Amino acid sequence: MSGCPFSGKEYQFKITYSTTEEEDDSQRGIDKAAKGGLIYGKYLQLDKILNAQALESEKRHSKSHDEHLFIVTHQAYELWFKQVLWELDSVRELFIQNHVPDERNMLKVVSRIHRITVILKLLVNQFAVLETMTPLDFFDFREYLFPASGFQSLQFRLLEIKVGVADNRRVPYNRQHYRENFHGQESEDLLRSEQEPSLLQLVEKWLERTPGLEEDGFNFWGKLQANIEEGFKLKMQKLEKEPDSERKEDMLQDLKKQREGFTSLFDSNHHDDLLRKGERRLSYKGLQGALMIYFYREELQFQIPFQLLNSLMEVDTLMNKWRYHHVCMVHRMIGSKAGTGGSSGYHYLRSTIGDRYKVFVDLFNLTTYLVPRDWVPKIEPQH
Amino acid sequence: MSGCPYFQRRHQLINKLDEEVDDSQEGTNKASKGGIIYGDYLQLDKIVTSQLLQSELKGNKIHDEHLFIVTHQAYELWFKQILWELDSVREIFISGHVRDERNMLKVNTRIHRIVMVLRLLVDQFAVLETMTALDFYDFREYLSPASGFQSLQFRLLENKIGVCDSGRVPYNRRHYRDNFKGQESELLLRSEQEPTLLQLVEKWLERTPGLEEDGFNFWGKLQTNIFEGIRKEREATEKMPDSEFKEEKMDELNKQKDLFVSLFDEKRHEHLLSKGERRLSYKALQGALMIYFYREEPRFQVPFQLLTSLMDIDTFMTKWRYNHVCMVHRMIGSKTGTGGSSGYLYLRSTVSDRYKVFVDLFNLATFLVPRDWVPKLSPNEHPFLYTAECCDSSYFSSDDSD
Repeated sequence: MSGCPFSGKEYQFKITYSTTEEEDDSQRGIDKAAKGGLIYGKYLQLDKILNAQALESEKRHSKSHDEHLFIVTHQAYELWFKQVLWELDSVRELFIQNHVPDERNMLKVVSRIHRITVILKLLVNQFAVLETMTPLDFFDFREYLFPASGFQSLQFRLLEIKVGVADNRRVPYNRQHYRENFHGQESEDLLRSEQEPSLLQLVEKWLERTPGLEEDGFNFWGKLQANIEEGFKLKMQKLEKEPDSERKEDMLQDLKKQREGFTSLFDSNHHDDLLRKGERRLSYKGLQGALMIYFYREELQFQIPFQLLNSLMEVDTLMNKWRYHHVCMVHRMIGSKAGTGGSSGYHYLRSTIGDRYKVFVDLFNLTTYLVPRDWVPKIEPQH
Repeated sequence: MSGCPYFQRRHQLINKLDEEVDDSQEGTNKASKGGIIYGDYLQLDKIVTSQLLQSELKGNKIHDEHLFIVTHQAYELWFKQILWELDSVREIFISGHVRDERNMLKVNTRIHRIVMVLRLLVDQFAVLETMTALDFYDFREYLSPASGFQSLQFRLLENKIGVCDSGRVPYNRRHYRDNFKGQESELLLRSEQEPTLLQLVEKWLERTPGLEEDGFNFWGKLQTNIFEGIRKEREATEKMPDSEFKEEKMDELNKQKDLFVSLFDEKRHEHLLSKGERRLSYKALQGALMIYFYREEPRFQVPFQLLTSLMDIDTFMTKWRYNHVCMVHRMIGSKTGTGGSSGYLYLRSTVSDRYKVFVDLFNLATFLVPRDWVPKLSPNEHPFLYTAECCDSSYFSSDDSD
């Protein structure tokens, strides 16, 4: 006897769910859609979206079941890239149009950058779906894909550029070849994105405007430098008074090292040197603004800016995680074979992991310079 | 010391970074020489140009509508993928290829893949939840009467897994077909008439080796063992000195006996079937319990994984419904839906066991017994344990079941 009493229409049972058959409020309503008007499928242009899956393996009369998953996964990634670019461009626009000094727009900025991080988190989790494909099943259709490659993803490059990945920080193969994949309109779009202000540049300018940096005003940097020097001096003095011992020597050495580190922080020439090399990305003043926001994050006007700095670091972290997940999966799928686009494949991808593509690297490094709370210059209420 | 991780070794690093041309940086750019391109392969010209904001069309562009559109499009893309996997598995059963047990790996892998996609779809709500109710309010008026009720793929998914028409809540049952016309309506009808995953799995379970009454007779042996086991425990408990504990224990044993009496009562099962509270046939239920108890036998290992994955499908579909309900409540409170339903209240009524297709597999956990009550199996006496059916002459290890 079959499970469903209605299959084959053998039985004319009316299933009675005695308690839930009640026509309570939840079951009320009319069907509006049947009367015409905007329909879900038209609104979402599903006729385009759901008819965009053409298996190459099928065209070559060797249909591979898993190729459908491969296609849909990439299409989902590209849909979300579009969404991330939509949010990113709107935030850049707010900065460019100088709407940001109106602090009421800061909530919008922070919400949208945070939204980008939520999407990136989803995109990192999405690898688990493609990983249900085995390398053996991938092998069955990979040959039909040449020379298509992720190198040709315009949106991915636009994303990198608009966040602020520096051209001179790209690994050699990437730097050499990444533009060649795009022609005509796409090439123009790419060029334009390189010339327009990136999120990094816009955030830098915004940080430079952090209230409290003015030398003839609160003069945060000057005060901080003075406090730190005083702080170290006191610590040194206290330590010198201790009876001599090996431990005292070690602690003195540590203290000296720390002090040297801070000395370099206040050396603007040193900073510019690192800037040139690409090891730092923010201007000296931008860096000061960021440190100010860190130290005074609980002040009302810095609460949202502090959230923004955290979200920016989260964007870098998630992009890096995305790259790492991608590398691991590619290694599993093709071992040491070359990529379809011509790169060395797994080895190339692995070289893109790390700090080179970290745009807001300075925000991460700033935690090197945290100091005890009482060294931080006091703010008077009227500031 | 400076925070910059390259500070101390910067000299080496400058040279190394700029001149590093190790193997990882080798290669030529093939794509610039012509041939299929990523964007064409993925038909991105269609995908990436399908986002038309109604609010913009009506002259009042609302930023968050783009997120709303893209989120739904992503859901529909993944629904298509799930249907692709689901249909291929149903085909393996329908064509009879499932009788060749070498095809079980494929079945299992694909059902598990569906679970992985559903997992992602449940997580995906977090993205849309970054939209506030206030921002949604700004463009919701432009959407009416478009509604998720018109998602054909969602209905196909429900039907093909095995959601029964009579199991749908009243509003759903009354109206869900109204939304589809022409070609779509035909597809929907066909999905109701063709064998569902539930029906196919049921037939497969009925064929579980070991159920044959004139063979191993699992059910008969189990019944004997269980009532013998209960009887022994009863005797032991009777011998105890009177106490509250003894009374409670006797009470428990009585309840347990009633429970198992009901398990072996075929008429009772038919009755629950007709009410829709059970979905599998009596024989299929036996097959499932057999697989549970003997899951470590090589022949039953992958089948056991399959049963687990089928329950995962139900679990994630329920979680999806629940996440959807929570989000809708936050977005529109108690307002009616754009499609005309009561909105949040309607959706909440669908988060129930009525839509749980493999509900029997969950309920089987009610009837677990101590290991030593399970009828003993031995490879010597019972060769069916290691002889798999592989007699399908159409099987090739590289064969694609589509």
